[in-house]
Amino acid sequence: MRFALFAGCQVPNFAPQYETSSRLVLKKLGIKLTKVEFNCCGYPLRHQHFNSYLLAAARNLALAEAKGLDILTLCKCCLGSLKRAQSFLAHNPDLMAAVKRELAEEGLAFNGTAQVKHLQTVLHQDVGLERLSDLVVRQMKGLRIATLYGCHALRPSRVTGFDNPYSPHLIDELLEVIGAESVPWAGKLKCCGAPLREKNEVLSLSIINQRFKEVGEAGADVLNVDCSHTLLQIKWAFKMLWPRSVELLKGVVLYPQLLGLAMGIAPEDLDLDENRPRAGFLSNYLAPRTPVSPEENSLVKRLSDHYI
Amino acid sequence: MFFKISLLLALAVCAAGLAHKIWSWLTISIDKDDCQYPPGRRLAATLSELGRAVFSGRLGAMLRALVLEGFLQMRSLGHSRTAWLAHVCIFIGFTGLLLFHALGAQLTATLFSGYYPTLDPWLLLRDLLGVMVLVGVGLIIYRRLTVQGLRRITSTTDRMAIVFITVVLLSGFALQALKITSATSFESMQKEYAGLSAPRELHALRSAWAEDYGVIFAPGQTSRDAEVLALGRKLSEDNCVDCHAPAQHAFASYALAAVMRPLALTLDGLQAPQILYYVHFLSCFIGLALLPFTKFLHMVSGPLLLMTNAAVDRKTMDPAARATLRALEMDACSHCGTCTVHCSVAVTVHRIHNQDILPSEKLSALATMVRGSNGDRNHLAQIREGAYTCTNCYRCTRLCPLGINLNDLWVALKRNLYHEGFGDPYQEVAQRSQKAAEQSRSSDTVHVVSGGFQHGLKLSAQAGTFSGCYSCRQCTNACPLVFMSERPNESLDLLPHQVMYSLGLGLKKEAMGARLVWNCLTCYQCQEACPNLVQVTDILYELRYLAAKAASGLEA
Ligand code: SF4
Ligand code: SF4
Ligand code: SF4
Ligand code: SF4
Repeated sequence: MRFALFAGCQVPNFAPQYETSSRLVLKKLGIKLTKVEFNCCGYPLRHQHFNSYLLAAARNLALAEAKGLDILTLCKCCLGSLKRAQSFLAHNPDLMAAVKRELAEEGLAFNGTAQVKHLQTVLHQDVGLERLSDLVVRQMKGLRIATLYGCHALRPSRVTGFDNPYSPHLIDELLEVIGAESVPWAGKLKCCGAPLREKNEVLSLSIINQRFKEVGEAGADVLNVDCSHTLLQIKWAFKMLWPRSVELLKGVVLYPQLLGLAMGIAPEDLDLDENRPRAGFLSNYLAPRTPVSPEENSLVKRLSDHYI
Repeated sequence: MFFKISLLLALAVCAAGLAHKIWSWLTISIDKDDCQYPPGRRLAATLSELGRAVFSGRLGAMLRALVLEGFLQMRSLGHSRTAWLAHVCIFIGFTGLLLFHALGAQLTATLFSGYYPTLDPWLLLRDLLGVMVLVGVGLIIYRRLTVQGLRRITSTTDRMAIVFITVVLLSGFALQALKITSATSFESMQKEYAGLSAPRELHALRSAWAEDYGVIFAPGQTSRDAEVLALGRKLSEDNCVDCHAPAQHAFASYALAAVMRPLALTLDGLQAPQILYYVHFLSCFIGLALLPFTKFLHMVSGPLLLMTNAAVDRKTMDPAARATLRALEMDACSHCGTCTVHCSVAVTVHRIHNQDILPSEKLSALATMVRGSNGDRNHLAQIREGAYTCTNCYRCTRLCPLGINLNDLWVALKRNLYHEGFGDPYQEVAQRSQKAAEQSRSSDTVHVVSGGFQHGLKLSAQAGTFSGCYSCRQCTNACPLVFMSERPNESLDLLPHQVMYSLGLGLKKEAMGARLVWNCLTCYQCQEACPNLVQVTDILYELRYLAAKAASGLEA
């Protein structure tokens, strides 16, 4: 399996640990990544200029198409932006024709054949829980994780196709595989406030503050996010809401970091302490993997059969 | 004499220009906050930062940066081998020519005994180095013509720089070629070094040089008789070869000479070598004089910047020294276009048609701004669009071969623009739309605009779906903004279902100016909730585009 990695504008500079941990994990899973110099996914442009948003997104799709690859994104806003553009283009021949024409000037043929998937979709669908489970050598015993699904992955669900928008289970199952507990919490499907960070600071902060509170109320040990904008939003808000934020949120962690730990990758290679708030303490939760009882095993199987 | 005077003049202009530049590095302020440091403070801070770096063992890193990043351009190797090769060719060729040719008599002669520009290896080396520069220039032209984005930004200055270097190089080669064929040169050299006077001997020597080294004499002055040639070669052996390597070793010039053969006599008669000599050295001197005022300055400022970057940490350094560093960056850009080729939002210029989105152009705009010429307000608005289209991806900063921290400058640019009354365009459009809506709300009439508006929202095809709204309020119930607010109708003006319904009534202005539109999180909860598939969030997006378009003067 091979994908074109779409790291986005923010990850390489502000969250390189997201890319390094993803690469390590994917390597262990035998998934190859091709370096393509993509441009902006279009998401930031989307607030003011529809046409340039569409062209930017389409150019990325065309670049992947030229290599005959599907795109694997790390950021959920990139995912949403690219997927939304795909659907706009698919439904509007005029837009499609204009974009094709402009890309052709650059020698890019665009037919919209490249698919876009988030890392977690690849792990869940293309790799599969079973294979993941085979590679897990350690467990995150007793770790209570609150996970944030991410607006632009979940919705509009007809376009993103990430999961059921009201009762998603994909990430919960990914967390189960590594032996952690995905706790129910109020903010799971809600917004982190990132889109308003530079537009209305007060509102943006009060939204993420809500999420912090909800994580605190649920008594989670750590918050799991897999979106670069959410990651940046939390980093910013954690500082802004200091010192109250410390009591509510003990750490933030990316799924590839968790999976990496469980697969036996050295914690120092996963840069858990680069996250803000840091997550280095998670390696304390690592325990040898206990054999799964046949009933449990079949339960997992039954559940995943049901969901898929 | 003329040579000396023009050289001195060029040196003086160059020195004055450099002094002026250095002064500007201490005086111009890129960020408004940098204004508070007087030149003396900036100089002291800069020197002490550098001093501290040197004494804390960073000298090695600085020299490393100078050699690897400055001279050898290792920074560009990663993204373009052609660009790297071009630079290395030009750098080695140019430096070599400067040391062994331009400063041959002053420098090389003192280092190597027996230096003679007409002897190997110098004769051969000069052509070799010249060819390297030409190859480098050729690669640059090739890239400028073929690489997407580079073509777009190539300016008159870039073209003039290329033409200029080519003139220097070609005049050098042509001069050498003419000298090879020139009978006049032969005669004067002969007189000076061999000093033959017997006509038989002169005839023989001429014949040998015509035969072996390509000198062109007037018809009848030479012969190809074997005996004559043998004598000529012997004379040459005795008198010439000690300080004259075969002309063929200047391989490029020799080839050029072969091409010019038919014209050689005429050109020699017209004193062409003399004229070319003037063209060659005068163009070199003009280059020297103009160095501080053109992009050639990057030869000085680039290495300085790269070394400083290796020595200090921008985040923690003395802000007064940082002010100097930023000012230096205004003079470091070689307009190579690397930043623009790789910029994450460069693709948008196809649709926004604003060159100032491209980092190389944005940097020039900033440089003009801080030097005090702002241009008109339209241009400022254009620069602002460039500044705010950037996604802050840091690619430009990471890739700039000169080590310019462009992202640091973009922050300063936004602050400067803000001071000129050009803040975040999003906010400006939002405020403008909100004001218009307020005015409309404060009048007493009932607002209905029948029909008509469906065609306003057409960008995404689905945006017209507002007409399917049956006002069930599912969207509003799902909206976190509504949920968070105690009196949502006061803080948001209109709720999601009300915006949809307003559009159905044709109330574009009112919908566009609702604070809901401008504070929408784009979380898509409303759209997901709508039982009739009204694309609520996408419609809110589209209202922002309409407003932005209206604000930019193009009526939507
Ligand atoms: S800023 Fe750097 S990369 Fe951009 S044109 Fe100037 S020198 Fe080249
Ligand atoms: S930081 Fe901005 S200007 Fe620089 S490459 Fe990225 S988008 Fe372009
Ligand atoms: S949910 Fe749909 S139909 Fe109901 S009010 Fe909102 S836009 Fe209208
Ligand atoms: S997308 Fe905007 S309007 Fe819709 S629910 Fe989210 S915040 Fe409310």
